[in-house]
Amino acid sequence: MDELDLRVRRCVYGRFVALGRAPTAAEVGAELGLAVGEVEDSFRSLHDAHALVLRAGTIELLMANPFAAAETPHRVECEGRSWFGNCCWDALGIPGALHADGRVESECACCGEPLALEVREGRVAEGAELLTHILVPARRWWDDIVFT
Amino acid sequence: MVFLRSEEHLERWLAGREPGATLTAEDMNRLARRWWWTRLDQDWVPRSAEEGQAILGELGLTGDFWALR
Repeated sequence: MDELDLRVRRCVYGRFVALGRAPTAAEVGAELGLAVGEVEDSFRSLHDAHALVLRAGTIELLMANPFAAAETPHRVECEGRSWFGNCCWDALGIPGALHADGRVESECACCGEPLALEVREGRVAEGAELLTHILVPARRWWDDIVFT
Repeated sequence: MVFLRSEEHLERWLAGREPGATLTAEDMNRLARRWWWTRLDQDWVPRSAEEGQAILGELGLTGDFWALR
């Protein structure tokens, strides 16, 4: 991961925060004055370094953790805007990354019933009775990050 | 990495699979905040496995399940 990759990554995250969605390689290229091919090469490097995740077999962004490019069951609101998290860890990580209070609307993985958590001043103020579960051991998280 | 309503729902969801790690919502929140806190920093650089392991350790997440490699 070189300096160009880090610039591309900063731009991706900045656009994710600003737009509430993943930017395209063309949008990143336009902002940084780079050719689309240069941005795509950088996306691949960042994917290989686990600094973001591309959709399998494509050059499209799937995750810039904790943000999800696709709609997921984990919707997060902070400061009047919303994003999707990739999982429970990422959903709670969005208020953390933004250093803001937030609300997570998700579902029970077992029964699918909606559930909600409020994070205020860094603590779970609503939904503290809920549980989270990580099935995959840490050393295998990146074997299949989508499953993890 | 999923949310579950209760221990009963966790057991049902596991459906006989070997359990991984269960954290309360507050413990997951502490982990998530610590893990992602610097993600949007302008001077962000990749975290080493040792640094990641240290964060997990600070939060009491130790043992083979939490070993990053």
